[in-house]
This record gives sequence, C-alpha cells and structure tokens, in this order.
Amino acid sequence: MDMTIIHSGCGSASPVFTAAGFGRGMRAAAPFLVSNGAAGMVMGLAYQGLGLTLVSAVLFSLVVYSGTAQAVTLGLWRFPLPVVAMITACIATNARYLVMGAHLRQLFSGLPRRRVLPTLLLLADASWLMTTADAERNGADAGYFLGSSVPMAVGWIGGTALAYVLPIKPTGVIAVAASLIPLAFIVTLLPGQWRGARMWLPWSISAAAALVTAQFVGSSWAMLIGGAVGTGVSFLQGDDA
Amino acid sequence: MPDLQTVAAILSIGAVSIAMRLSGYLAADAVPKAGSVARIIRLAPGNLSIAFVAVGCFAGGWTSFIGSVAALTGMVLLKRQWAALGVGFIAAALVAALR
Repeated sequence: MDMTIIHSGCGSASPVFTAAGFGRGMRAAAPFLVSNGAAGMVMGLAYQGLGLTLVSAVLFSLVVYSGTAQAVTLGLWRFPLPVVAMITACIATNARYLVMGAHLRQLFSGLPRRRVLPTLLLLADASWLMTTADAERNGADAGYFLGSSVPMAVGWIGGTALAYVLPIKPTGVIAVAASLIPLAFIVTLLPGQWRGARMWLPWSISAAAALVTAQFVGSSWAMLIGGAVGTGVSFLQGDDA
Repeated sequence: MPDLQTVAAILSIGAVSIAMRLSGYLAADAVPKAGSVARIIRLAPGNLSIAFVAVGCFAGGWTSFIGSVAALTGMVLLKRQWAALGVGFIAAALVAALR
C-alpha cells in the first residue's frame, strides 16, 4: 500500500496515516502471526476434513477472513450448499463490523476514503481494539490500524495454507477431531461473550430453540432461529452487551 | 480444481463479509450507535454462538461434547484461543480413539 506521511503528531487531535504508525502497529501485533497462524492451521485442517482443495481453503480465508463466519458457515457445509442460510449466518455473525466501521469513520474522519477503505478489508476484532487503544495514547493513526492488521491476516491465511503443505492428513481419529474445529472455534468465543448470571436464561432458551429447530425445521436454520429467540429474550429482560 | 458450486458459495460469503466491513464506514451516519437496533447488534453474537454450539454438540455426540467442554475449559484457563483449540482437538481425538 502506498503511504504518505501526512502528519506524525503524537497525541494529535487530527487523524493521520503514517509509516511510523504502520511500523508501530506491525510490531505490536507481531505475536498474532503465531497465534492466528495456529488458529488458521486448525481451520485449514477442518477444510481438509471436508474435502476442500488448497485453493478453496485459501480463497475462503482470504475473502471471508473472519474466524467466526468461517466456522459457522463450515458448520453448515453440506451439499447442496445452503448458501442463503450461510449468507444470513455471515451477516448475523459479522454485524459487529458495522459498528466497528462506523467507529473507525469517527476516528479517521478527515482522512481520504480512498486511503482508508482498502485497509478495512483487513478489519478484525483485535486490530480494531488495538487501534482504539492506541488512538487514546498516540492519536488516531490509520497506519497503525493497517500495520496491526497485516500480521493477523498473514497468520490466518498463511496458517490455512500451511495445513495443506505440512504432512498432516486428517484421517481416522484425526479426521473426527478435525471436524470438531468449527464448533470448538465458536466455543472458545463464549467466555468473552459471557456477561454474568443474567445470560443463563437467554442462552438456555437460545440452545433449546436451536435444538427444537434442528429437529423439526433443519440444522441449517437452527443457529439463526435459536439465536434470534435468545436475542429477543436478552432484549426483553433489558440486557446490554 | 475446486468445483464451481464451492467457489460460488465462498465468493458469495466473501462478498457479504467484505460488504459488512466497508458498510459501517461508508454509512457511519446511518449506523445506530444507541437505541434498540444497536442493542440487538450487541446482544446477537452470544446468543447465536450458544445456539450453534448446542446444535453442534447434539449432532456430534460425545466426541463433540467432550471436545467442546475441553476447548471451553482450555480457553478459560489458558486464555489463548490457539491453545484452547489444541486442547479441544486432543480431547476429541482421544474420545474418538476410545469409542
């Protein structure tokens, strides 16, 4: 990406897009190269278990680039592919990007759209959080956002490819365990979404509604209907995340 | 070579994913930051996740259930997603081997 140093004011009120911020973001997010690489690799193993080719798997991680959306759509993967349900699930799980994007617009207001928009292709939960924290310390810098996003994306996409290159073939017991990965991926997000005892009721109802839907309607819609019912209960009991 | 149906599905999901990333920035003024819609956006992920997990555990039987519990325990204790995924993977493989 072509970057021009617009202004490099530490703690400046006006947003900037600096090479120094890019470097700072890269260094801060470097550990994600390993952690996202490992997570991407297990996602690649799951893709192998489903019979996806290397090209399809890398394309998935490249264009979707969302662990949550990839895990959820992977859980729905059966032929003929339920594309409408997958897209609906993708919208539901990625709705948070709307809020993040709107926040970044406020943060980077004044910067040309043509410079900021391409960087949003790499928007991830962690890079958004890191950029928000860095903006409070050093002022808003779109270079930092891009710099922190790169190691995460490289780790995730590279890890997916690595699963195909390394001599790991999911057969037998390994194949059974690999098929669990999309589910386990979502399970690991649960502690971060738990907001205390008030979650018991909506989460129990979400789970029950999903199981009933899976039984009588079909598993493709179970998550969406169960999640919608649970969200309604959370909303009615006055919760906020 | 990947088949066309697979590639079309991936590209469709990818297009939606990219649109979600760009839309918030482009329509910042229209995206509610408070009120009912914003609350629903914030409340939905947890409820969707637990619904997904419930169906996955039920459909996958003991292997999925024990693997999920192990991954959850790993995440709570280790606070590292890649490590928790490893714990869940190993637990599921052990259960699959014993069955």
